[in-house]
Amino acid sequence: MAQIQPTLDVPEAIAEPLAPIEPAVARKSRFRIPGWLRLTLRNPKARLGLAIVLGMVLLGLLAPLLIDASKATEFSFDSRQAPSLNHLFGTTDQGQDVFAQVVWGARRSLALGLLAGVIATALAVVLGVFAGYVGGVVDDLLNLVTSVFFVIPTIPLLVDVTAFLHTRGMLTMALVIACTLWAFEARILRAQALTLKNRDFIQAAKVAGESTRRIVFGELMPNMISRIAAAFVLVFYIAILVDAGLEFLGLGQMDKPSWGVALYWATVNSSMLQGEWWSFLFPGLAIGITVLGLTLVLAGIDEVSNPRLRTERGERRFLRRAA
Amino acid sequence: MSEAALEVRGLSKRFPVSTGVRGRRRYVHAVDDVSFTLRRGRVTALVGESGSGKSTVARLLVRLYAPTSGTILFGDRDVARDRSRRDIVRYRSQVQMIFQDPFGSLNPAKTIRHHVERPLRIHEVVRPAETDNRVHELLRTVGLVPPEHVAAKYPHQLSGGQRQRVAIARTLAVEPTVLLADEPTSMLDVSIRIGILNLMLKLKEERRIAFLYVTHDLASARYVADDILVMYAGQLVEQGPVEQVLANPLHPYTQLLLSAVPDPGTGLAAKRVEVQKGHASAAVDPPEGCRFVARCPLAIDVCSRVTPPLVEAAPGQSARCHVNAPAPAVFATAS
Amino acid sequence: MIAAVEPEGTGLADWAPGEAIVELRKLVVDYGVERRTRAVDGIDLTIRVGEIVGLAGESGCGKTTVGNAIMQILRPPARITGGGVFFRGEDLAQRSRARLRRYRWQNVSMVFQSAMNALNPVTRVSEQFVDMMRAHERISRRDAEDRAGDLLELVGIDRRRIRAFPHELSGGMRQRVIIAMALALEPEVVIMDEPTTALDVVVQREILQQVQDLQRKLGFAVLFITHDLSLLIEFAHRIAIMYAGEIVESAPAATLHSNPQHPYTRGLMASFPPLTGPMERLVGIPGSPPDLADPPAGCRFHPRCPLCVPGGDAYLRQTTERPPLRRVEAGHDVACHLAGGAA
Repeated sequence: MAQIQPTLDVPEAIAEPLAPIEPAVARKSRFRIPGWLRLTLRNPKARLGLAIVLGMVLLGLLAPLLIDASKATEFSFDSRQAPSLNHLFGTTDQGQDVFAQVVWGARRSLALGLLAGVIATALAVVLGVFAGYVGGVVDDLLNLVTSVFFVIPTIPLLVDVTAFLHTRGMLTMALVIACTLWAFEARILRAQALTLKNRDFIQAAKVAGESTRRIVFGELMPNMISRIAAAFVLVFYIAILVDAGLEFLGLGQMDKPSWGVALYWATVNSSMLQGEWWSFLFPGLAIGITVLGLTLVLAGIDEVSNPRLRTERGERRFLRRAA
Repeated sequence: MSEAALEVRGLSKRFPVSTGVRGRRRYVHAVDDVSFTLRRGRVTALVGESGSGKSTVARLLVRLYAPTSGTILFGDRDVARDRSRRDIVRYRSQVQMIFQDPFGSLNPAKTIRHHVERPLRIHEVVRPAETDNRVHELLRTVGLVPPEHVAAKYPHQLSGGQRQRVAIARTLAVEPTVLLADEPTSMLDVSIRIGILNLMLKLKEERRIAFLYVTHDLASARYVADDILVMYAGQLVEQGPVEQVLANPLHPYTQLLLSAVPDPGTGLAAKRVEVQKGHASAAVDPPEGCRFVARCPLAIDVCSRVTPPLVEAAPGQSARCHVNAPAPAVFATAS
Repeated sequence: MIAAVEPEGTGLADWAPGEAIVELRKLVVDYGVERRTRAVDGIDLTIRVGEIVGLAGESGCGKTTVGNAIMQILRPPARITGGGVFFRGEDLAQRSRARLRRYRWQNVSMVFQSAMNALNPVTRVSEQFVDMMRAHERISRRDAEDRAGDLLELVGIDRRRIRAFPHELSGGMRQRVIIAMALALEPEVVIMDEPTTALDVVVQREILQQVQDLQRKLGFAVLFITHDLSLLIEFAHRIAIMYAGEIVESAPAATLHSNPQHPYTRGLMASFPPLTGPMERLVGIPGSPPDLADPPAGCRFHPRCPLCVPGGDAYLRQTTERPPLRRVEAGHDVACHLAGGAA
């Protein structure tokens, strides 16, 4: 063992401190884009999806500049026109402008999806994450509530509610959709909270003396943002689909422009049989493209937060294991 | 001997396991009647294999679990009975824990500053205006320099050894008198381990902290610890001054552990260890008798009938073994 | 079923090097495209018949990458960018996919780092053996199961346990199952990547003894990758020490133990507290390993090296010139400017 001696004689000053740590890369603002979001924005699927959704949002926002809302609903004599410069997407049997329906319908569908998503996510986060973390009786109770909501079928409930309230407004729809979908979201978040709560950093925060509220919202939540975002997007597009579906069945608000209502009228007037493909195609495409965009965003988030779905891009992760 | 910081008497923890179709409720005896004392300025090593209950002991002491029975005397208070959050938080301002996995014990979404700063704020250790200074001072204490740079980083930007130092700085924030270190080096590279052990020694000497060092590594236990506790299947099977126990282990399990440690210089062939099958995990409703009996080369008739008591067989050194540490009274009480 | 080779003595001293089976020649492995990281930088390593070679180093030094390169399972973004892996003198880069498939597992098999979790939790051990064997050769289900039973007995598990699900086995038993699977096709080399790191000391010792017994009986060679040098000194015939993608020292185990030359090796040795004898404060190795995307100039160890002091005689060379691996005595190579008094 004599050979090892030289290293033992190292002066304490060299031996003890670690190599100095370099400063973190300087950032201009205090705001930090979380890693998962940066990765998501770099994911081609998510990028494409986001571009589509943002395009739709832009269309909805610019609607008043593009075309008058009344053209989407009011009858005119200019009916059954194929797409032309005057009527970009053509007109319906009653002479409504299909372009106006698509553009103004985007406003409704997106606002509804957003609203439903926000309400459902808020409920799911508070109840799901809390239940998962606290556990015990609270969890059992909240789980029961969740289960009850979980089994309520959305569409029949909406049919009942709209009949009962005599209103088919967007707000009602959004509320009902959110009420039936939050449970679904809460399930996902609760499961995630359950796996996170046994992680040592949560135990360590407990030992440090953090309160339950702070642990749930300050320590647990920041690690679940990508899951929450995914759940939000999910509710967003389910809400759009459910809404359009109800309207298609004739349970929508007939006097307001919307994609589902447009499709409803197209069926009622048997436009397809008369060769008026445009009154079907454009509202249908609008729904399809929006949902596709949201699905791509979801897939992007999923790929980023689940490394197994990542292939070539997982270089950093790979490197760390390259020991 | 220095004053006691934490006195543990008859500490037990049982976890319920799922009951059979019509059976009574069964329990895993994770920790079974464990007693020891942690003293200021001393390191006590708690050694055992995975599943032996050693980590459970640490988690009981910091009250992450509530003990099934037994007392934890801190000063003149029995903290095992504390139920209110206020009492437990007050206790934790004195007794802190270092977790095993430095990759799991820091919140990936938070900066290093957050981790060190929170305990300062929760326990109101310093005035808010001095928080930053104290954070830097703590980081410097654990050898993370320059502290200004370290504080702004996120856990994933540091190496394992550096993270473990952050975890230690966080526990030091409350100026604890007792630190429970749950295998603090087992996830780290060999070359980094010594640094963490040296830091523990420094803290023990400079701050007179009472350490419980939970580990499965006997060599590192010898390096940092003054006393050693050996745990097997939920029970303490041997305890005493570390040098004395390792030089002259009484319990056959301690002997087995000792012989299994890689020791450069003797080839594998030179010291073959014959091991009987079996493991050190805590059992469900264990029967009466020595828990090591199935693997023990010394087992005699009485071993499978009577649980051996912890008997002081050499000055300061006790063991639970009918053969090497016989208790004169055991046969009388058993009959 | 497995041809037994007569045990060649019992002590390490009787062991004599055989012919080379696997050779790494100036192997270079890069990760990444935008920010290239050289995980393995020009390594020479030979594994000979019936030899236990130890490869030791800190996490991130490239030792697992070496194992994966030998096994030919590097996946993008990792790729071999220089040198090569030679099996019995043949460059594996020249082999067809089909022949590479045969090479993996039949010539060289591997016990992975997280081997304990490498078993599929929902299928019985027997199924996993059968699947693996039938993927490589034509064999009836019954014969495969028979052989799997033999293999289990070989590693000291009752052959009836073959019907068990992985979760019904203890960690140590699962590890033995994995080792048995690695031996199933009678490979000439078994790569073991930290096979005992997650296990308790007693179980670790049992498994090492088992591997040593099997190795003597069956005569395969082992590349044992670990960060625990103390283990290797007991267990390996020859040890290579890796630091930041390079081999910095390589010697027979006994030589390395009695006469370590590289300051890094000495640092590693000084990181283990002794179990017996006098105790003194150890220092380990200060600092942390370098970023492989941007390694230090000159000797890669110089920022952590106690022998590299500004103003010292060799300081300029240490910080600018990469030390080559030089032979300092028989079978003992060191990459240090100051080694062997030849500076």
